Amino acid sequence: MATAEELAEAFADWRERSNGNPRLKKMVRGWDRVIHFVLADGGEGFTMEVRDGQLSELVPGQVGTPDVVVTGSSEDFCDMFWGDLNPSEKYMSGEITLAGSQADVMRIDAISMVAFLDR
Amino acid sequence: MSTSAGLAFAALEYLAAAGLVAYVAGDSAWIAIGVAGLLALLAWGFFGELNGMFPTAAAIRLYMKRSMDDRVALVITFTYMTTIVLVIAADAFIVGTALAHAFGESGWVSALWIAGLLVLAVLSNLRGVHVAGWVQDLATYGVLAATLVVATTALVRSGRPLRFPLEPLHGHGAGSLIEAVALGVFLFSAFEWVTTSAEEVRRPEHVHRGMLVAVGLLFVVCSLATVAMSHVLDHHQLTSAYPQLLLGRVAFGQAGLWAMAAVTAVTALNTFNGGFITASRFVYGTAREGSLPRQMAKLNDRAVPWVPVCALGVLALVVALVVSLTHSWQLLVAVGAALEAMIYAVAAFCTLRLRGRAPDHARPFRVRFAPVLAVLGMVVFGALAVVASVSVGNRTDPVPLVVIAAAAALSTLYVLVVLPRVRAAEASRRAATPRRRPARPATAPGEGS
Repeated sequence: MATAEELAEAFADWRERSNGNPRLKKMVRGWDRVIHFVLADGGEGFTMEVRDGQLSELVPGQVGTPDVVVTGSSEDFCDMFWGDLNPSEKYMSGEITLAGSQADVMRIDAISMVAFLDR
Repeated sequence: MSTSAGLAFAALEYLAAAGLVAYVAGDSAWIAIGVAGLLALLAWGFFGELNGMFPTAAAIRLYMKRSMDDRVALVITFTYMTTIVLVIAADAFIVGTALAHAFGESGWVSALWIAGLLVLAVLSNLRGVHVAGWVQDLATYGVLAATLVVATTALVRSGRPLRFPLEPLHGHGAGSLIEAVALGVFLFSAFEWVTTSAEEVRRPEHVHRGMLVAVGLLFVVCSLATVAMSHVLDHHQLTSAYPQLLLGRVAFGQAGLWAMAAVTAVTALNTFNGGFITASRFVYGTAREGSLPRQMAKLNDRAVPWVPVCALGVLALVVALVVSLTHSWQLLVAVGAALEAMIYAVAAFCTLRLRGRAPDHARPFRVRFAPVLAVLGMVVFGALAVVASVSVGNRTDPVPLVVIAAAAALSTLYVLVVLPRVRAAEASRRAATPRRRPARPATAPGEGS
């Protein structure tokens, strides 16, 4: 199980890559959403917001009304934020689940993919 | 509910309904549709249980992968995807032909309508345009209500009593009734596509309840429309590519014909919206998973998987134009009916297999007497798939079986020959990519984790 510090470090890296990616900025333009991450292996989840084409910092706990809820293990989230894990594989195997509209689900996957297109 | 009924009630529904009339006596087609509806309820039970276990757009991959060898699951899934291409192509063809007929234009103009409609569908998909839920609801209820009103009015205006409404076998063999039921199952087909929207529903149990109501509604509307067509249209009209327009004309004159042309065009809204999204996102997910080439997972700036959307549009256009040239829409109905019955049999198998393999998996909805019903489902739907695959119109014809066998052969070839290479390339690409996540500091002996 990944620690809160590991998750925070991984997310900070993901956020920096995403916010600095011009293509991704285009992709999330006008897509202002509240996203809850729920940890399936226990522990406090966290909230991320996308506003004005930028990913916010992580806020501990579930804050506000979510547009999308992503549920997975802390290890998988950590690997995903570092770009070491393809979340689609975990999604197609049922280990990561999402609740939200199809378009929103696609955008989240797009962020996770486009941020690491160089890999 | 409206999503389930809307996806099932495609323009092809009218042609399938008109085609069904040939198999039974007089105005008794509603009996075959009723039996098909009961069978659809059986399928509803299987999809309800499976979707409850895996409330995700990837449900079909999840429950098939866990029920059988992954390669077999992929072959079946890719073959089944043919149905979506066929339904989109069929709707483009039917709407194009209906509009050309309504405007009094010659046959070749329908090809322009078909191409125009598909280009519009592709472009709106590429721009990430989504039909809002309320528009989808309005379109579905509007189509169903208009069909009910037109069918009822046509029946009332005929002024004649129904012919053999309770005697489907009058002058027909039992085999014809079975063929009619196989075709009847197709009238309900795609009601289960709603499961791909499971993630959008706050309460997943609403999905299987909605599907149940949709099956009931489809039975009422399809039965009435079929009986009205058998009652007021002659053989030549029933075998045309626009029997619903002729039904509209019987009910309300030229205004009715125009109204049904508009209704036919509206059905395409749900089919194109649901079909393109379902198929392209599935292909995207499968490519991201590593089971299709990476090119299929390319996104445009609106986060739309543009390669699958364009490929789907081109494939549908080719099929629709071939059907337009050869007038072989009944072949499409037969292929669709056979594939749909096949996937229902597969759902029955998966339900049974997962009861054994994953007995403790949470099931918000459970089919009662699952072992018996699943075996029954496999036998009945398997038999209907075979019957539908060798029957076009009311004659024996192996062409649908050949089409399905070709799709299955291509899928098998891909899974056995191409897929291992795709996966090997992906594995070597990943092996060459170093991990970015920092290694955890080694834990000293005696320290807890």
